[in-house]
Amino acid sequence: MGLEPIDDIEQELRQGLLRLPAPPGLKRKIMARKRALDAEKTHGRVVFWQRLAASVVLAGAVGGAVTWHNVQEQRKGEAARQQVMMALRIAGRALDQVNAQLAEHDNGK
Amino acid sequence: MSHDWQPDFEQLVDEHQSMVFSLAFRMTGDRGLAEEIAQDVFLELDRNLGRIESPEHALNWLRRVAMNRSADALRRQRVRGMDLWVEMDENHGAVFEERISPLGSRLEGLLATLPSGQRAALVLRYQEGLTPDEIAATLESPLATVKSNLQRGLKLLRAKAVSHLKEYIRGT
Repeated sequence: MGLEPIDDIEQELRQGLLRLPAPPGLKRKIMARKRALDAEKTHGRVVFWQRLAASVVLAGAVGGAVTWHNVQEQRKGEAARQQVMMALRIAGRALDQVNAQLAEHDNGK
Repeated sequence: MSHDWQPDFEQLVDEHQSMVFSLAFRMTGDRGLAEEIAQDVFLELDRNLGRIESPEHALNWLRRVAMNRSADALRRQRVRGMDLWVEMDENHGAVFEERISPLGSRLEGLLATLPSGQRAALVLRYQEGLTPDEIAATLESPLATVKSNLQRGLKLLRAKAVSHLKEYIRGT
């Protein structure tokens, strides 16, 4: 080996630094990892939607229960108010009768 | 931004796996690590496929990310106190000796002993045939730094090759 090639070190580098062949199976490994990641991503998306759906259903159930409870309370309040009004009306009528009897008694004297 | 080119991931792997692996291997000197880097680079490409606008964009993107990931791996190894190129310095040439000339394989081994900045510039220049401007864009380095790395790298490599050759001649 003479000294000439040193003078053309750039040429030697060009020839020496050719691209190397990829290791056998590199593409297969990349595609397998990609498939695994895609599957993980899809699974993650399904879990997300499942959780979202469960949250919506739960929120709906809780909201419905609260609304139902409020409506029931309102109905009970309305019924109690009606009963009070009825009692007041009855009491008013009784007082009117007592008043009328007293008036009659006073006139009779 | 809309573009007509529809990237085919599998085809991109087919076309560029040798380039990505070679860059990673010549930067790290470890076949296993280079293979791992190549896998990571392509999976990152898959995540960013929507942003790739043309075959040239894909090629440049892969070069840039392969060099970045290799530099990251070297940094991590340095932090752990390992030098991947120590063994490589002695054995690297032998791996591909059959494929290239004896001096070529020795130069490749000597290249391994250069600082990583100079090695990166030389690998992109002579493996990929990039111009200093393209190297600067790939490495995201100033052009002056790239030119200086190329000049210093070649000078150092020439000096190492001469002393190596003298030892070889003395040995024969």
